[in-house]
Amino acid sequence: MLFVTLAVTGLMGFFLPFSLLTVSVHSLIGFVFIAAIGFHIKNNFRKLRSYFSNRTALVLLVLVISFIAIILYQPAPVKAILSLSSNKGPALDHFEIQANRMTYNYSPAPHYHIQLDFKGGSSFKPEKPPYIAIWIENKSGYHIKSLYHSEQADFEKLLPYWHHKRAEYLKNKQLNGKKKKDAESSDDLDALSSATDNYSFDPKDYIVPEDKAKESPYRVMIEINLSGDGNEHYEDQPSLVYRVEVDNKDPRSYQVLEIVGFPKDEVVDGETKWSLYYADETITTARDLYDSAMLQIDRSPASKP
Amino acid sequence: MKKNHHRIPDSETEAEAEANNRQMGRRNFLKFGAASLAASGISSANATDVLLPENSESVSVDKSQIITSKVDILVVGGGSAGTIAAIQAGRTGASTMVMERASYLGGMTTRGGVCYPGLFDAWGKQIIDGVCWELITECVKMDGGTLPDFSKVAKRHWMNQIHINQFLFYILAEEKCTQAGVEIAYHESPQQIKETEDGWQVDCVGFGTQRRVICKQIIDCTGGAEMAGMLGFPRLRSEVRQPGSIQFLLGKANNPGRPTSDKGAGLLHAIYVHGADSTNSRTVTEASITGRKAVLDKMRKTNQRLMHLQSEPGFRESYRIQGDTVITVQDYTSGRHFDDAICYAFYPVDLHTKNGVKPKPLKPGIVPTIPLSALIPKGSRNLIVAGRCVSSDQLANSGLRVQAPCMAMGQAAACAASLAVKHGTTPGEVPLKEIHALLEKHGAIVPKKN
Repeated sequence: MLFVTLAVTGLMGFFLPFSLLTVSVHSLIGFVFIAAIGFHIKNNFRKLRSYFSNRTALVLLVLVISFIAIILYQPAPVKAILSLSSNKGPALDHFEIQANRMTYNYSPAPHYHIQLDFKGGSSFKPEKPPYIAIWIENKSGYHIKSLYHSEQADFEKLLPYWHHKRAEYLKNKQLNGKKKKDAESSDDLDALSSATDNYSFDPKDYIVPEDKAKESPYRVMIEINLSGDGNEHYEDQPSLVYRVEVDNKDPRSYQVLEIVGFPKDEVVDGETKWSLYYADETITTARDLYDSAMLQIDRSPASKP
Repeated sequence: MKKNHHRIPDSETEAEAEANNRQMGRRNFLKFGAASLAASGISSANATDVLLPENSESVSVDKSQIITSKVDILVVGGGSAGTIAAIQAGRTGASTMVMERASYLGGMTTRGGVCYPGLFDAWGKQIIDGVCWELITECVKMDGGTLPDFSKVAKRHWMNQIHINQFLFYILAEEKCTQAGVEIAYHESPQQIKETEDGWQVDCVGFGTQRRVICKQIIDCTGGAEMAGMLGFPRLRSEVRQPGSIQFLLGKANNPGRPTSDKGAGLLHAIYVHGADSTNSRTVTEASITGRKAVLDKMRKTNQRLMHLQSEPGFRESYRIQGDTVITVQDYTSGRHFDDAICYAFYPVDLHTKNGVKPKPLKPGIVPTIPLSALIPKGSRNLIVAGRCVSSDQLANSGLRVQAPCMAMGQAAACAASLAVKHGTTPGEVPLKEIHALLEKHGAIVPKKN
């Protein structure tokens, strides 16, 4: 049973977008599994000692240790396999709610550490924290990677913009190849005042690109919503979306997230689309969920979460 | 202030002939209808007659004669800025003439095919209004088009540009000029300029036309500050200028006023014309031929039909004036509020190069302003500019050069020039409060300090 749970949560961690629940189950079962191994060694110590005197067993042990070393050092072929994961390699992230702030840490690479620090505003109450989604977009506004989202009930309903973006992402990911082709075929028809869309959906092309020449700016986005915060204009004020643009070619250690707007849906050609609208004076306490949101990026080799 | 223009007869006989012509009156029309069309073998699309006002000057011109036009304000260049400047000047009561080298108004908006003017809004609010907005909204409404919702956050800056029917735009612009009493002089360009006691004497030529304009104020809306250049005022010019774009459409019918796709800013296809320079007829000719050749190459390569082609490339840059204030990119990107601000501008820093363009959007909440002192060539009197030749560095100009701020500058320059005529002074000496009040009276948005 332990084997099955570990295997299933491991595969979920590889193929599905990051989920704290998956990682928690995987980690806890992992600890139980380690304890089970301990009991197993203790109960079968003699048998195991005689087993490892066998040469074949020693070769197997060396092979296992080598395999673990390869995973840890991640040579190119291993990286290629890990890059197929929805979580794109070894990422460490952590979201924490404290008395007067919320903090999110993310380390997509040993030399690249992102911290988002939300200092609570007058509407912030740690006992009833707001719903929050954190994700990365490219400059064309395409969702690239969801980093974190609240897992309370109805989170998709309360974070509609992010939810819509993520759904679009999953759809567009399949069309990516085709779009790339179209973009390549329209070379000189791009002399108008608009930037060429970036069609890459791979976070590593933005956050920690291997090829510096292909590096593109990206946006860290958050959607935040407190359920039931009605005012004279709204029964429940809408979520608010904030963003900050990160350009690794023009590195900044600290950046402030700025408000973009609030989401509203509309039906265009029979399809529901979500757009952002400028937050006007009808949005009141929702603006005070946090006092300030700071993005800090540590690009030094020793950066750690 | 009534306009007064007349010809200088070369002989007594001609003077008599002119007097006879005048007696016939402006309301005496020459019929140019179905009968004459039939006689000439020309078929008409419909049976409606078109009546051309009889005007001896326009139907029969002796090349030895010089027409003299006496006006308060001469607007040179009928592009985005000049069209609005002319309408505004006319509406203030100043007798106004707009001189345009092409055969219709609009400049880059129409001739260049950049028929998606912008940006009129910033951060959810309209920042440019007045004559230009009246013209654009009327054009969109009449064409059955749609205006963007400024309260919606545009995913890309160009999404709030207004798609207009370029053909309808210049007809409506002409109508508004006429209604404002503005005289339009197409196919003409200034050749010589001389300062007079109370203004300027500008000698101009068109084909079959020699005209002397006596005016009090000049609004230079030539794009390249040609009048300031003719007068010897210093001008700025970057060593490497931005390319122009020739606009066309291959393979599908042009649908004016409607986007061809939701994936791009424009309505048409475009190819960069590197080195395109709008300085004079020779450089414009060269850029036009080069652009058209590229279109031909594209047709051969793609084997598609040519469905639409603009008459010349859209030019982005040539000369800029040097005013008392030179707007720098720091002024622009920090949203500096100049003490003598007369309008807002809003657009990314948008420098086109050989490698394309990577617009650098302005930071949230930033709305740059344009000062009056950036419209007046340093040391000049009775001369004001409007449009992309505004005194600015190249990077600031890459955002200031687009149509909406050019149009706003046109309206502001016209208010300043009209008040200068009224007070018998120069635009730089007109009290700023009066310019602001006149602008607001005519619907423009005047920058306010927070």
